[in-house]
Amino acid sequence: MANVIRCEGLTKRYRGVTALDGLHLDVGPGQVFGFLGPNGAGKTTTLRILLGLVTPTAGRAWVNGRPAGDPDGLAQVGAMIEEPAFYPWLTGRRNLEVLALSGPPLPGPPGQVGRVLAAAGLGAVADRKVKGYSQGMRQRLGLAAALLREPALLLLDEPANGMDPAGIAEFRTLLRSLAGRGITVFLSSHLLAEVEQICDQVAVLRSGRLVEQGPVDGLVTARARVRVVLDPADKRAALALLAPWAARPDGPDAVLVDQADGQAVARALGQGGVWPHQVILHRPALEEAFLTMTEDTAAVHDATAAR
Amino acid sequence: MRLLHAELAKLARPLSFGVAAAAALFCLLLAAGGSHNAMLDAQGAPRHLPSCAAEQVPAGPQCSRWQAAARARLRQIRAEPAQVAGQLAPAAAGAEAAGLIASLPGALAMALLAGAHIGGEWSGRTMKSLLTQHGRRWQVLVAKLVSLWLAGIGLIAACWAALAVAGPVLAGINHLPGPDQTVAHGLSLSGAQVARALLVLAAFAVIGLLAAVITRGAIGTIAATAGAILAMLAVAALPGAGPWTPATWVASWMGFPAGLGSVTALPANFWSRFLGTGAPPGQAAGFAGLAGLVVAGLAVAERIFRRADISG
Repeated sequence: MANVIRCEGLTKRYRGVTALDGLHLDVGPGQVFGFLGPNGAGKTTTLRILLGLVTPTAGRAWVNGRPAGDPDGLAQVGAMIEEPAFYPWLTGRRNLEVLALSGPPLPGPPGQVGRVLAAAGLGAVADRKVKGYSQGMRQRLGLAAALLREPALLLLDEPANGMDPAGIAEFRTLLRSLAGRGITVFLSSHLLAEVEQICDQVAVLRSGRLVEQGPVDGLVTARARVRVVLDPADKRAALALLAPWAARPDGPDAVLVDQADGQAVARALGQGGVWPHQVILHRPALEEAFLTMTEDTAAVHDATAAR
Repeated sequence: MRLLHAELAKLARPLSFGVAAAAALFCLLLAAGGSHNAMLDAQGAPRHLPSCAAEQVPAGPQCSRWQAAARARLRQIRAEPAQVAGQLAPAAAGAEAAGLIASLPGALAMALLAGAHIGGEWSGRTMKSLLTQHGRRWQVLVAKLVSLWLAGIGLIAACWAALAVAGPVLAGINHLPGPDQTVAHGLSLSGAQVARALLVLAAFAVIGLLAAVITRGAIGTIAATAGAILAMLAVAALPGAGPWTPATWVASWMGFPAGLGSVTALPANFWSRFLGTGAPPGQAAGFAGLAGLVVAGLAVAERIFRRADISG
């Protein structure tokens, strides 16, 4: 099936500062795709390019099979970039009506504005002026605006900002149900625990370059570590036996082995005649894996070159 | 049309109503002052011309020249009550309203509206939402321009309505004579002047649009638009430059009296008093200049906006 998002060598420089550096990215349909990276990594710039708000310095991007920014392609995209902004003197409902008038006619039967307001949990406050909305309510209104045209692709930048825990849980359920209906959700977020729970795949950006892309489980498993507790007298021999995995000492009676599974480590030690007291598999959370990926400069590589 | 509908819906805001109310109040106060001035001038005008000797003007050709000028001034003063009454007649008040809004007060009001309506899309960070709904930037720009222009026409309507309601009351209070023109004639005067004002408002709107795409903010748009209008007037006052500046095109196209000739009991505009008294370029040249300004300004604004990154 065709990719919903495709970026080829996407580069953006602002007055000599490189915000995005040759990004190659493919996102397939019907999934929740997490787009991660520290502040300034180039996530929002990527989203802006996909929406045609920013022109890339080099490279190309396609959304729904059309060049980024193409009005017909945009008609099938719902977006919420950074903190959503509305006309404060209008009500929530009127804001959405104005947005609806600003583009092609809304799909489906009349009453779409009311339906998306209800779906976002704003039915009761839809006729209040937006200037009186809390940040969480504005986020919900932003989500309602993004869903207005029943898009094939949702681009969301930090959508859960300011939402209460109940709101975040509702939001998680909503995103999963959208993906279940075949809608692709492209989610940029700092809430890594949330991303881990709802995303099928993630891509990690660092300094404008793609560091990793793959299923959440794959990224986490690839960074699993094994801690071997043994007799201090066996430590030197263990380090030699585990050298292929770049093992390193971890205190007087333990050895830490990166990117290995416990069975392989136990077997290598046994075959060398070293019998450990304990072999502990440590599978990091996405947050820990994310920190490892974004802090380790050596890990930065061009994913395309690798492909 | 959907996009224009959306832009007009956004204009239905307290600030727009406030600007329209301020325009109406300005016209009202001007009419009150103008009609009162006309009454005082007429009451204070001498019944007969004083002699040259009484005014210590030497006899001979100098006295004749002074008498001719004094007679003309006396005629003007005596005619003022009827003239003001004519300006304030409900049907003819549209010409007065068009003249006021197509000059400095209207230009400053348009600067304010341009800042809020166009520059505010950047300041309020709503431009990104607008463009993600509608990717054709030139259509967004045209809808912004047309809606701002319609808001300018709304200012004329507000001023006309205020004058139409208050004019007869003020004429009665100040004992001004009844207007000596028919309703049809008044409407014809108003129609012609309002029609001319449409092009001037389009020029003001284009200047506001251009200021918005360059400054990308509400305050910057207001300041740049007002600054451009004032600079136009300042340049037009320079000797020799007059006929070739947008300010004189406005005066020529609107048929504003030259220089201080526009200063009467009830001014028909707040524009030509700032200009020099050099020969105006003519109405056709004024039209061509303003039309060119609108087309060129829109083309430049579109070029800038099409290439601009929306990062706010």
